[in-house]
Amino acid sequence: MVASDTWIVGLGEARSALARDDVSITELAWEAVAPALVDAGVGLGEVEGAVTASQDFWDGRTISSMSVNEVVGGTLGSEAKVAADGVLGLGYALARIEDRDQRLNLVLAHAKESQGDAHTIELAAFDPYFERQLGPDESVLAAFEAQLLYARGVFGAGDAARVVAAARARSRVLEAVSVDQVLGSALTASPLRVLDRAPLMDCASALVVCDGDRARGLGRDRVRLVAGASVTGAYWSQREVLADGGGAAAAAADALAVAGWGFSELDVVEINASYAYQHLLVGAALGLGEGEALVARFEGDEDGGVSVNASGGWLAGSAGSVAGLHAVVGVCERLAGRGGRALVHATTGLAGQSHHVVLLEVAG
Amino acid sequence: MSVVRAAVVAAGQSDHGRRFDVSMAEIAREAIDRCLGSRGLGFSDVDAVVAGNMEMFEGIYLVDQLFVGALGALGKPLYKLNTGGTVGASAALACYHLVASGRHRRVLGVGFQKQSEGSTQSAITTVGDPVWERAVMAGAIGNFAAMASTYIAESGVSMEQAAKVAVKARRNACLNPHAHLKLPDITVEQVLESEMLAYPIHRLDFCPSSDGACAIVVAAEDLAGGLCEHPAWVHAVATAHDQQYMGDSPKRLAVMRSLQAAAKKAYGLAGIEDPRRDFDVAEIYEPASYAELAMCENLGICAMGQGGALIDQGVTLIDGPLPVNPSGGVLSTNPVGATAMIRVAEAAMQVMGEAGEHQIPDVKRALATGYGGNAWTDIMILARERPRPDAQVSA
Repeated sequence: MVASDTWIVGLGEARSALARDDVSITELAWEAVAPALVDAGVGLGEVEGAVTASQDFWDGRTISSMSVNEVVGGTLGSEAKVAADGVLGLGYALARIEDRDQRLNLVLAHAKESQGDAHTIELAAFDPYFERQLGPDESVLAAFEAQLLYARGVFGAGDAARVVAAARARSRVLEAVSVDQVLGSALTASPLRVLDRAPLMDCASALVVCDGDRARGLGRDRVRLVAGASVTGAYWSQREVLADGGGAAAAAADALAVAGWGFSELDVVEINASYAYQHLLVGAALGLGEGEALVARFEGDEDGGVSVNASGGWLAGSAGSVAGLHAVVGVCERLAGRGGRALVHATTGLAGQSHHVVLLEVAG
Repeated sequence: MSVVRAAVVAAGQSDHGRRFDVSMAEIAREAIDRCLGSRGLGFSDVDAVVAGNMEMFEGIYLVDQLFVGALGALGKPLYKLNTGGTVGASAALACYHLVASGRHRRVLGVGFQKQSEGSTQSAITTVGDPVWERAVMAGAIGNFAAMASTYIAESGVSMEQAAKVAVKARRNACLNPHAHLKLPDITVEQVLESEMLAYPIHRLDFCPSSDGACAIVVAAEDLAGGLCEHPAWVHAVATAHDQQYMGDSPKRLAVMRSLQAAAKKAYGLAGIEDPRRDFDVAEIYEPASYAELAMCENLGICAMGQGGALIDQGVTLIDGPLPVNPSGGVLSTNPVGATAMIRVAEAAMQVMGEAGEHQIPDVKRALATGYGGNAWTDIMILARERPRPDAQVSA
């Protein structure tokens, strides 16, 4: 497999907020799709295929993409949906473009988490016979994982709180919080507190993606989608592999091998997970450092090295299914003009069971 | 045009029915083991997994993550799709794209559903708008009843003609070792006398609620010949949807715009000029007896309004000029997450010459369809002949 000649030619995002009660899911999606099409200079009728990302349970309906397929060109056109982060959807779109039949794809990720009850939904991810009676949800599982991580003695709750504070300081939509506020927020499942987790949000992100010939024809060959990879980890109860971050490292290695890049050639790394401690876990697994050095990277104190989560990532305001694609949009915007190479990481599943990675190269 | 030509090289199914003897993971694994085992393959031979399941039906969120071990996806890319009735076909199409792009060489597709452990109709009801649609069109039966009523009014098809489809399906199922509903002695009269679920749909006009799973392997061209004597080469894949609200696309069964659009695209890619002549067999996603007749019309197998005559003339019988659903179809087996993949698997089995007692002689080209919410339509055309290297395959 060789590096892809696929390009991101249009970006769009809906206004994200804790609750977008003013719009339906369809309207929220269109808020992202419409500017992406304008940015790419194409009309909806030119979209040859679409991949959307969303979760039925969070949308409170089956076939959640039915709400959006008319706004992604799906009426009498082609749309497919992944139930995962939009970065996996982007990876699927990459394949649909690389087989040279659907040369221009629209990728949309959407979530309206304000409409769902997190505990009820997450409880449904557990085995119905043996586990649900105990009432677990993602916070309980994340707490197990955080305990394993903290027990190693390298990171602690204070480090995770610094990651949260750094992310919130960079957020465009959420209020800043201090380390003390994080550590003083209500305990959800020991050792995790309310502010350790990204808040539930309503948001949508969209990309227009196409092959090299089309991108050059549009005069939009600035952001190249070089490679994508995904690795699925073991189910949460397999404790020996919980909290090792190996899936993220493996996905990154797979993508970098396709690109022919070394990790040191990256200018930007964006890690997306719903809990702060997971950023430390994944960051360490990716080789971004250990202990204080890694925490400092999230705070932007790197000394000329790779920029880590300059956007703040999911903790700065995004949603499940959307966070990874939101980070891709952010990287494209941030590197526009100055150029660089970026790795965007995203997760699907409780405690980040699946890890997805895409590599981007932005022209200077 | 695809970078790599791709073929379905293996297919496996669980035994379908009310399977209280196995868990969801076990029924998925039953199909996977039969699929991989038929070619001497193991999980280590699979590069990526595409899983299809409608998780609200059993009420398990992130079901793919829970069953990552059973699906053989540990340490690999796992693409979870849940696109409704089409999901098994959507997964098969994804398998194709992942191989044709050159990203993977052997991709395992798995569709599975254990409807006995959930409330499928409750979940399907949520496809309707909560304010305008759910109260009046609950579940799949209500939707198809409305569509069938329109179809009767537009085409003049009779209840007896629809019942003949129901009879054909359940008799064909008797030749399929995996099928759920096998009724060797079923008659048109029995169909018409069965309970009226929602006018004009009788109980025997409608598909069962099944537990089951299906698996396929799609392989790149340099591997396909070594895995299978007669690979089922992918010649066309196409998808089309209709609008979200049924009222925005009236006469949805009489005029199936998405099926027509997908068929037009797929036929163009595969060089199909006359589907009744050019296909040797078809596996069509027909949740209701009326749907098969309407779909045959909209797929161009007969003229519009002639679906009733098609079954009267015996064209689609297992020994007819164009057998439709020799497996027994959806009317005999319906584990939703697997149902559309079964259509692809059965079409592939026919091309590979591995369909057993329901094998149609000398199949060179087969049609498979999936159908679901938003009139979502997936089409795959499989053939024994390898496509041209420069052929466009997907649209």
